[in-house]
Amino acid sequence: MASATAGLGTDTAQDLLFDRSFRTRWRLGFDKVIGWVLPLLFLVAIIPILDLVYYIASQALPTLTWTVLTSTNPYDPDALGVPILSTAAIMLFATSLAVLLGLFGGVATAEFLPERAAGWVRMTANMLVGTPSVVLGYFGYFLLVITFGWGLSFVAGSVTLAFFMTPYVFRIADLAYSSIPRPIREAAYGSGARPYQYVLRVAAPIAFPQILNGVFLALAIGVGETAPIVLTTTQSVIFPPTIYSPVTFLTGTIWENFSQPAGSPSLALAFQAALILLVVVVALNILVRVISARYQKRLEGLYQ
Amino acid sequence: MSAATTPHRHRSAGTVAGRIVPFVPALIPAALLLGIVVELLISSKLTNFGLDFWGSNWNPPDHWGIAIFVTGSLLTALPALFFAMAIGLGIAIASTTYLPGWITRFLDPFVDLLAGIPSIVYGIWGYLLVAPFFGTVINPALYNHLGFIPGFGGVAPRADGLGLPVGIFILTLMALPITTLLIRDALRSVPRDLWEAGLGLGATRWETMRHVAIPYGSRGILSAAFLGFGRAFGETVAIAMVLNVVATYPINVYGSTATMASEMFLLLDSAFGNSQYLAALSEMALVLLVISLAVNIIGRRLVARIVTYEVAGL
Repeated sequence: MASATAGLGTDTAQDLLFDRSFRTRWRLGFDKVIGWVLPLLFLVAIIPILDLVYYIASQALPTLTWTVLTSTNPYDPDALGVPILSTAAIMLFATSLAVLLGLFGGVATAEFLPERAAGWVRMTANMLVGTPSVVLGYFGYFLLVITFGWGLSFVAGSVTLAFFMTPYVFRIADLAYSSIPRPIREAAYGSGARPYQYVLRVAAPIAFPQILNGVFLALAIGVGETAPIVLTTTQSVIFPPTIYSPVTFLTGTIWENFSQPAGSPSLALAFQAALILLVVVVALNILVRVISARYQKRLEGLYQ
Repeated sequence: MSAATTPHRHRSAGTVAGRIVPFVPALIPAALLLGIVVELLISSKLTNFGLDFWGSNWNPPDHWGIAIFVTGSLLTALPALFFAMAIGLGIAIASTTYLPGWITRFLDPFVDLLAGIPSIVYGIWGYLLVAPFFGTVINPALYNHLGFIPGFGGVAPRADGLGLPVGIFILTLMALPITTLLIRDALRSVPRDLWEAGLGLGATRWETMRHVAIPYGSRGILSAAFLGFGRAFGETVAIAMVLNVVATYPINVYGSTATMASEMFLLLDSAFGNSQYLAALSEMALVLLVISLAVNIIGRRLVARIVTYEVAGL
């Protein structure tokens, strides 16, 4: 190129290849500068995360002892044993219900519904995800607490939370079953499998990691949710709860204590609850991403 | 089509029940959604508050105007959406175009992580650390230097910093992962041919982004705006903690107001046993639900398929 143009006459190769006009230099310079400036915007995400984690940890750790974490003594108000165990109980109940509803729904949508109907059903699941959590809390309050007469109780809170988590499980179960490679499906049905045999024996082992992912995701989203559970239960110092007894929840503990005076044990308790929540949620989120990445590789392997 | 996707159908038990039962679980989300609407309608007892309901006079038990809360929701969600879109667009462009893959693989998870942090954790951090910072540094600086702009002057900002600016800041952080992820997906969906055609014509990366990629992904970017707005509009607890919720219009940009979600969250307790109060709150919940769902549906209709499921509210 250079040698060809150099022979043409007055212009040197340099002049032809490199336009030195102001406009060109401005364009190239702008591109270079923006390439350095835009990545700085990542700081808008990174600084708050690091600051938040550091702040919560620095406020929670000095007074965090094993006793605080495990004491379930109802006369010891500054311990987290009861909230932690109660949260675990609620999450167990709510997740089981959400998985039951979401899994059946998602599998039915992916496997048994015609494509058009499945599109509508997916739309309703997406709409449910877009419903503000406070509206779901109102639904739980009016239906379960008032109409069903369950009161501000363990069962009302867990079921409300389960409703909140259901669409997340639903969508992932649907995704897991619809993304099973077509040849596998056709091979199963072609060799005479019945629908339930395909769903349980052929598809389930392939979809399992993705579904587990959905469960973890629902857990991560549910355990950090405040509005549905605070509106449908009320604080309690007793563990274990009975079905209709009040029950406490980690986010509820934070909500009750966050405006206590600085330096008080109650405020420290709120920070400790926040730290536990943060650790659980971040761990679950990382787990979800790791499983998701591995599952993608596995699916790609299935196509070969 | 249906025969191709459900080959088993021809072999399933011939009874009507055998054909219908498998579909029933698929209706669970629809049933839940319907249940929410019906239950809210029942508990509102279809009370007609008339024009007063849409007015700005909220004075229980005489006046039930929700205009303040709708305005408050918009005043917090719209600026937050603006910042989240601007920052999200920048991050998405940097991540898809300017940064090498190994840096992106390290940085992108931070944005995703923002979506995972529970809103009450944002709230306690915002209430105890960010709000005092706004109260002592940012709000006074805006007040002193931009006070000549209408709305930025007037009544001096509160020393504890609770108010609109910190609320908008927290909402920006909460909407940022949604806008960033969707814009990133939109920009990644630009065909390589188009991108290389732009570069091949001598355009810089920025010009290709500006004139080829962004127009191509504009629907996806618009859907990011709708879904990010939905997230900010429905946010409850964090706003209830940092906004210093009061049922008035804000006096200036540092002022306090109430959003629909935060006011509903805080008032349910005091409404207990008062059927008119509960009816008003239910109708407010319906308004919030309708707006959120409308925004959500529009946002999702704009793109064929949203790739990411692993984010709350997406």
